[in-house]
Amino acid sequence: MIELRNVSKDFGDVQAVDDISFSVPRGKFCALVGASGCGKSSTLRMINRLTEQSRGDILLDDQAIQDYDPVKLRRRIGYAIQETGLFPHWNVMRNIATVPKLLKWPATRVHQRVEELMHFLHLPVAEFAHKYPGELSGGQAQRVGVARALAADPDILLMDEPFGALDPITRGQLQTMLARLQARLHKTVVLVTHDMDEALRLADHLVVMREGAIVQQGSPLALLQKPANDYVDSLLGGLERGLKQAALTRVRDHMAPLGPTLPAQSRVPDGYTLRQTLSVMLRDHSERVTVVDTNDMPVGELSLRKLVKEAHTREGEAHES
Amino acid sequence: MSPDLQRLPGNPNPLRWLMPVVWLVLLGVAVKAMPLATPALEWLSPDTDGVVYERTAFTTLLWRHALTVGVAAVLTVIVGITAGVAVTRPRGRDFLPLVGQCASLGQTFPPVAVLALAVPVLGFGTLPIVCALVLYGLLPIVRNTLAGLQNVDDTLIATARGMGMTGRQRLYRVELPLAAPVILAGVRTSITVNIATAALGATVGASNLGEPIIAGIVNGNTAYVVQGAVIIALLALSVDSLLDVWQRQLTQSRERH
Repeated sequence: MIELRNVSKDFGDVQAVDDISFSVPRGKFCALVGASGCGKSSTLRMINRLTEQSRGDILLDDQAIQDYDPVKLRRRIGYAIQETGLFPHWNVMRNIATVPKLLKWPATRVHQRVEELMHFLHLPVAEFAHKYPGELSGGQAQRVGVARALAADPDILLMDEPFGALDPITRGQLQTMLARLQARLHKTVVLVTHDMDEALRLADHLVVMREGAIVQQGSPLALLQKPANDYVDSLLGGLERGLKQAALTRVRDHMAPLGPTLPAQSRVPDGYTLRQTLSVMLRDHSERVTVVDTNDMPVGELSLRKLVKEAHTREGEAHES
Repeated sequence: MSPDLQRLPGNPNPLRWLMPVVWLVLLGVAVKAMPLATPALEWLSPDTDGVVYERTAFTTLLWRHALTVGVAAVLTVIVGITAGVAVTRPRGRDFLPLVGQCASLGQTFPPVAVLALAVPVLGFGTLPIVCALVLYGLLPIVRNTLAGLQNVDDTLIATARGMGMTGRQRLYRVELPLAAPVILAGVRTSITVNIATAALGATVGASNLGEPIIAGIVNGNTAYVVQGAVIIALLALSVDSLLDVWQRQLTQSRERH
């Protein structure tokens, strides 16, 4: 559990971070979103004490981080950054082994752990173990960076624009990889990004920052349903918001029981998002789809009318709360 | 094969040892078989009796010369790198300009003057020349240590901190290995220059490869001068090319594409 209480950071006369508070419960994924220079990276670097906050408290498991020894603290926090920070004089294996070696794990355990992580991140050991960072593509280097951050199995993972420098396809692949990884490992993650879609896709909790202050925070759905102001709205994509919201909701949560009428011709698996379902409707010129389970057995149906109406009521609920 | 392909790790240039071997063989020949060059040397100094320097064996002179330069190099490397590291640490940063200037001063001060000043204190022999060489050789090492350490990417240092390395671990595991090729280049310059400079020691009674040169100048025997100069040059080239191979090996594996 990470908690920031009224934290500020000054660099000389410039206030980089202005009185921010948020918390990330254990096992949750939090994204700090904002344009460059909004203080999100400084915020991240205060959590592992690469910079010290000027005011306020940062708590880790209800203990002020100043009570921890900085070196020990950092060894239990995974850290991955955009420029990868891979050590160019060490091969992939040695890079991944950085923290386990600092923690003086026995050699066999280090070796075992590194190979395990390389498999996990789709880096074939035979091909990559002895390559140097200079010989890797951007995506490969970034995966090594993530593997290195995870090496000592930290509870907390801090990531500073980890996929910022990659092409859209590679970025998408790595986001999928990270989502899968988080579903399995349940780390407490703080991700810094300027890419709102990345944040919506990965995070449980979004913190939108502007000029050092928090503009809005909440779950992806809450933000999409009710952006606090035009800035958040524009970050969320303005008109695209409806579709993005639909992309976050599963069809199984909105389908109606099978009615007395004949099932619709169009079929969608119940794991689809509303956005994908909508796309199927548009493709098939169909106002109704049959929802099927993994065995292709119909389990419910969804009409366009219901889909549109649900979105409205949902928004209504958000307004009331 | 393209030059890039040759530099890939696991595929080192098989000819990289060629130059050091060539120079070392030539050095060996020059030291052991100087009398073979008698006709050429006689042509150089027609009016003298003995054209091959025989007062001390060349092997002995070579050994003493190498020892003098070696001792000076060890001292210079230790002092130079320590100073360079110390002034790039947070606690020593205030001394950075001072150390830079001292090193520069050491090199602008002529070694001959150092010898002249050192002899009254240290007496005649090898000690004054070692002292002069250390002062003279410091600058390239200090300068390159500073440049090498300052060129280490800040991101890497921040990452090393973020991973939980202590200051000492950052220095030994990240900063020094990354700065090593640049530092080694400084060491190489320092040693190569000092191999030549060490000959001056013969003027204050140090016995090394400068001996035939000084003897030749005093007696008007050009052949002696040439013998000393050739062996010194070959020694410098051998050491330089050996260090060059080492430097290449250091840089090889981590070149960014």
